[in-house]
Amino acid sequence: MIRDITIGQFYPAKSRIHELDPRTKINGTFFFILSLFINQSLITYGLAFLALSAVIMATTIPVRFMLKGLKSIFIIIMLTIVLNLFLTPGTTVLLTLGRFTITSEGLQTAFYMGTRLIMLIIGSSVLTLTTSPITLTDGIEALLKPLERIKVPAHEIAMMMTIALRFIPILLEETDKIMKAQLARGADFESGGLIKKARSMVPLLVPLFISSFRRADDLALAMEARCYRGGEGRTRLKQLKYKKVDFWAYNILMLYLIIFVVLRFI
Amino acid sequence: MVKANNLIFEYVAHNDRGEVEGVHRAIDDVSFDVKKGDFIAILGHNGSGKSTLAKHLNALLKPKSGTLLIKNMDTKDDHHVWDIRQSAGMVFQNPDNQIIATIVEEDVAFGPENIGIEAGEIRKRVDMALEVVEMTDYAGHSPNKLSGGQKQRIAIAGVLAMKPDCIILDEPTAMLDPSGREEVLKTVQKLNKEDKITIILITHFMEEAVMADHVYVMAEGKIALDGIPRDVFSKVEIMKALKLNVPEVTELAYELNHAGIDIPIDLLTIDEMVGSLCRLL
Repeated sequence: MIRDITIGQFYPAKSRIHELDPRTKINGTFFFILSLFINQSLITYGLAFLALSAVIMATTIPVRFMLKGLKSIFIIIMLTIVLNLFLTPGTTVLLTLGRFTITSEGLQTAFYMGTRLIMLIIGSSVLTLTTSPITLTDGIEALLKPLERIKVPAHEIAMMMTIALRFIPILLEETDKIMKAQLARGADFESGGLIKKARSMVPLLVPLFISSFRRADDLALAMEARCYRGGEGRTRLKQLKYKKVDFWAYNILMLYLIIFVVLRFI
Repeated sequence: MVKANNLIFEYVAHNDRGEVEGVHRAIDDVSFDVKKGDFIAILGHNGSGKSTLAKHLNALLKPKSGTLLIKNMDTKDDHHVWDIRQSAGMVFQNPDNQIIATIVEEDVAFGPENIGIEAGEIRKRVDMALEVVEMTDYAGHSPNKLSGGQKQRIAIAGVLAMKPDCIILDEPTAMLDPSGREEVLKTVQKLNKEDKITIILITHFMEEAVMADHVYVMAEGKIALDGIPRDVFSKVEIMKALKLNVPEVTELAYELNHAGIDIPIDLLTIDEMVGSLCRLL
């Protein structure tokens, strides 16, 4: 049951967006999110919406997959909208409901905040849906590399992500095994309230922790035996290379950003 | 190739205040000499010191006294640590806990990447190593979906890609099913015969030790017996006293011999047993 969980939400397909270098996609996502913050107006949000829609079309991924990501943060979005709607101070009162008033400023902020949040989430879903976790890790490592001078452990972060990706399925499988072993001995994970359920997780988590420490120990030894000594002097089998698509993608991104900045000043 | 002189290693247990609480001598005055291209088996039951010895061969542990030379490099010398680990590769027991990457070929590339080989050469080595262990078809797969025997072959490929002179296998088959065990042993034998790689196989399966050129039996940190497999296993009483079994065929021959049947006691394989029995008829 628990084994079927997939990590990340990579949606394999053949599209221009899938083909892009992970660095292009990470940069693109970053600047898209940034653009949502530098300018707030109907026109720019319309532009961002159009750009995002165009990218989603290009990925060939069904839109409902994109919207899936919103489900988990639905409450946060609603909360943001409601709070902004009622708590923004303003002069033009539109409606009064007992102690709460809705102002036109409130309506405006609530609208912008809501759309911004939704586009932010969908924008980053495009990245994770079109990039496999492994390439994503490579991309992050490559982009953080220049920051190593200011002591950002780029290689270590990437290595940790790789190891996590490798061991999550193994640990899930192990959780499943321990769960079954405890169930066979009469453990009850299903019934009771929240606190009782949480407490019943203890006999599951303790063995899991112990075994993962043992695995970590083994793995460290195995890595050392294979000459691992950190990122220094390390080469890579697969090097990231920009292709023609990336060149075009960067151009489109530039154009998009220029329009945004220009709109800000007129 | 590998030369140990009066090797001693102790595990020291400390209490909370950092005082020495107890000393356990895991390796006690061990000496041996392995020539290039040899196939050595080290036998022993749990706690006999065989795994501790394996970790010394890869400079993961350093001896308390005595010397261990790998290709004439002293494992105590910090300058040589990486050269030693490159030339004496190690395969561990648990196939899951020694695969680092999420894709087979990237895992095989891990070793060469660490020693700074350039990309084109890594590619060549990875392809070569995967071909030797017959896992080329799985290069792009995730290791999670492979069987234990396949994972262990990937681990061997990972070591091979560093172009070692010697491979140390620390109970590589202990967690595998019979077919996985056979895959791994076949690969190991092939490496020894065709690529002339020195093999040090640490095991507690007697049937595996039979394949070796020379067997060392360890007990309580010492080498209790050593010799060619035929000689070692024919000493059934000594082996039993060390709480070790001998191969089933050897045991049968021993029992038959004791029951007064004229049969050699140093039989190792079923074929030999069949031959000897037919001669009696």
